[in-house]
Amino acid sequence: MSPAAPIEPNKKTLPESSSSAWGELSPERSYRRFGDLRGVQWRIDLGILPSSSSSIDDFRRVTANCRRSYAALRRRLLISPPISRDERHFRDLVMDNPLSQNPDSMWGQFFHKAELERTVDQDLSRLYPEHGSYFQTPERQGVLRRILLLWCIRHPNYGYRQGMHELLAPLLYVLQADLERLSEVRKLYKDYFTDNFDGLSLNVTDLSYNSDLEKDEDNMGIQKDMVKVHHLNELDPKIQTIISFSDAYGAEGELGIVLSEKFIEHDAYSMFDVLMNGDEGAVAMANFFSQFPSPENGLPPVLEASSALYRLLSTVDFSLYTHLVELGVEPQYFALRWLRVLFGREFALADLLVIWDEIFALDNTKLKKEKEVKFNVFNSLRGAFISALAVSMILYLRSSLLATENATSCLQRLLSFPEDVNLRKLLTKAKSLMNLATDALNSVLEPRGHRHSLSSDQAAHASPRGGVRENYWEEQWRVMNKEAEDRKQVGISRQVRNRIRGWSEKVKARLAKVTRSTSPFRRNLVDDQTAHLEENKKLVSGNCSSEQNSNSNSNNNNNNNNNNNNNNNNNNNNNNNNNNNNNNNNNSNNNSNINETGSSVESSSSVIGPEPGPGPGPTVSPSTSISSGLYRSTEDVFSPVPTSNTTQYSSFNEVKNDIITKRPVADLGDEQSSPGKFQWLWRFAKTGPEGSLDKSEAATSSVNESDQKNGLPEAVDRNKFKILAQSMLENIEVVIESAENLSENALEALKELRKIKNLLSER
Amino acid sequence: MVLVLAIGDLHIPHRAPDLPAKFKSMLVPGKIQHIICTGNLCIKEIHDYLKSLCPSLHITRGEYDEDSRYPETKTITIGQFKIGLCHGHQVVPWGDLDSLAMLQRQLDVDILVTGHTHQFKAYKHEAGVVINPGSATGAYSSITYDVNPSFVLMDIDGLRVVVYVYELIDGEVKVDKIDFKKTPTATI
Repeated sequence: MSPAAPIEPNKKTLPESSSSAWGELSPERSYRRFGDLRGVQWRIDLGILPSSSSSIDDFRRVTANCRRSYAALRRRLLISPPISRDERHFRDLVMDNPLSQNPDSMWGQFFHKAELERTVDQDLSRLYPEHGSYFQTPERQGVLRRILLLWCIRHPNYGYRQGMHELLAPLLYVLQADLERLSEVRKLYKDYFTDNFDGLSLNVTDLSYNSDLEKDEDNMGIQKDMVKVHHLNELDPKIQTIISFSDAYGAEGELGIVLSEKFIEHDAYSMFDVLMNGDEGAVAMANFFSQFPSPENGLPPVLEASSALYRLLSTVDFSLYTHLVELGVEPQYFALRWLRVLFGREFALADLLVIWDEIFALDNTKLKKEKEVKFNVFNSLRGAFISALAVSMILYLRSSLLATENATSCLQRLLSFPEDVNLRKLLTKAKSLMNLATDALNSVLEPRGHRHSLSSDQAAHASPRGGVRENYWEEQWRVMNKEAEDRKQVGISRQVRNRIRGWSEKVKARLAKVTRSTSPFRRNLVDDQTAHLEENKKLVSGNCSSEQNSNSNSNNNNNNNNNNNNNNNNNNNNNNNNNNNNNNNNNSNNNSNINETGSSVESSSSVIGPEPGPGPGPTVSPSTSISSGLYRSTEDVFSPVPTSNTTQYSSFNEVKNDIITKRPVADLGDEQSSPGKFQWLWRFAKTGPEGSLDKSEAATSSVNESDQKNGLPEAVDRNKFKILAQSMLENIEVVIESAENLSENALEALKELRKIKNLLSER
Repeated sequence: MVLVLAIGDLHIPHRAPDLPAKFKSMLVPGKIQHIICTGNLCIKEIHDYLKSLCPSLHITRGEYDEDSRYPETKTITIGQFKIGLCHGHQVVPWGDLDSLAMLQRQLDVDILVTGHTHQFKAYKHEAGVVINPGSATGAYSSITYDVNPSFVLMDIDGLRVVVYVYELIDGEVKVDKIDFKKTPTATI
């Protein structure tokens, strides 16, 4: 797959001999093992391949590993959702349908990917038109697109930014150039590229059947031409490595061929990834694409870097610096482009490769700890060199910059860097500035008279998909559910430490059979409420007898019923999310979910009490209608409910009224309890989570003191009850505070509460 | 991967004020490639609203539509499927499968989308598929009691169409999914 216009393998490498001219600057690099194999050399420099002194086998193994990980990634992330749906287990349709607003659903991801792809394609179509014959072919574009998409999907906080494609393009180019070199070598030394399987060299002439078909003279002729296998060691070591790199039978087999056309995409991806991440070093290109301010400075990294440039410039050439500052030329106007594409737009591709050779040759490990350094983004030798290079570019234009008197022409000059640049001079100057650069970066002085016009209130909204802005509906959805999530998290984290869930398991087991008959739609709804219930249940679990179980269960579920109703509209998707995760685990999990919900639902039925049949009217949400349906089968389980119910309610009621009584009486005024409960709820609702928690804790302790006769379990129950009340109230607050569904949920909540009140008053 | 929305019998403003809020929040522009509408919108504003969701809009005339320029039936080809569209009040008995199958043969389509009964139905018979997206607003109907708002989204992918049914039951959106595969007809 060689391009139409041949890539010149490495014509523009500064010839090896000249490196000695810079000998004083780079003594350690006078021998570069892979000087003419840029792809390999860069991979070593970037850290993907082991250092130059490793054996061929090591190279091969590391290469193979990288490629494997990329292949796995690609397989995982690029399969479009609708195609791979047959094998998958049941997914909740309410969440996963094409119109779902839930951004985490498969379809949401699909549309998001489609967006990304559109953006990437826009950029790719304009990539390097002057090398269009290489970059604009559909296969190459496909390769580039896949790599970029995968990287962006892997790093959703960066998304795709314009410029990433320009960072990737030279990497691909360089790998291709290596392949060109390989094919050159192959042509010249084809004798050495024997098919060395098992150490035997197989030539066509070895096959016996040939002799049947051909005359003896031909046989003789072929044998005459048969080449002798020379030993590899006779060759120049460079050629040797090239050949052994392409051996299909070495370590890791074909996957380990270091210069492989088949895996060019994999290699390019790993190079790109390391380049963007910085590989634990200081200079991570991805930083330059991020808008979010870094924690140390409060500035986006690009601004940080630009000010670093200006700082260096001020130390090197103060007059030019002041001139630019006076004119109002902010550094980020040109530095943004310089840095984001690592000077890709300032130099022709061939020159760029030389520059990148130099840049990558320098080490990227952090020089100093992060806290000590002002400009973290350049905190390495490589970073220092980059800034030094930028400054030397500015200095190159010094005369023309000083001549102009307005900012626009300065910028014009800076942004259209001249074509015929003496690269060597530029690089030498950059190297000489490196020391100054490292000093300047480490200084903690405030820049003199330098203002940042782009203030740090660019801090974008914390959208997880920074690249493609979520559309309006998804944002709304997220906002709505974020509040719910936050409150839930807060509530739960404050709750009592873990109790054993034994009792809930028992309940689940008992109710297992009941829920099978629910229709798919009901099951959907039933599943909807699962996660919420799970959370509540976890809080409440404890070592209780079955009676206590049912007590607390009923209370639990009573509250949960309210919660469910209240949360139906709000947290539907939220629960579906959790539920989806649950469902993804396994069926038993699924069942248990259903069981739990079923249990809650039907004990709510028991609370609703001796009202069998269609139960509470048609206006009630489906959970209670399910509950009425399931009522009959579970009546036996919850027989002791009514008395203890009132017991608990009344006891709590007393506490609430600041009366610490000894023994809650079973027949204590029902009429008291119901309005009392109602009041209590609303009072709690008003005080908010803080107040209610304090009160509930105080109430808990007071109840614990007072309540000796019931023994510990009941106190535990009350704790649980409070916890449930807590969470229920928080949910009510969520309901109250969420903008959209205010009326619906409040009405439902009121309905439920009223119902409970009525039922309790009947007893 | 073509998403086609089948919707109809909204009867706005006569029998219903608007689409349910939950449906409206799901129908956002940009996701759907085609909309086929069985009819009875009834006013131009709804036509414009649907047009804003997707520029490719196909409507047939229902008996209460105020725009009389809609055709009685329409045939559209999307991917490998031929889709026929008709309101359904012309096919008597209303909602009868055999008569609808007759119409399907007459139009020579794989998927026939009709409405008028305000009730979601999806039948498969040997010749093809008959889909009734129901009424998107839950407008009352003289032949159906207790109408739930519903509409249908078809995901056409090669020879396979996945029909997603969105129904609003008791205030909750329920989604169901039906798969249909078309047997590739031998072309000569």
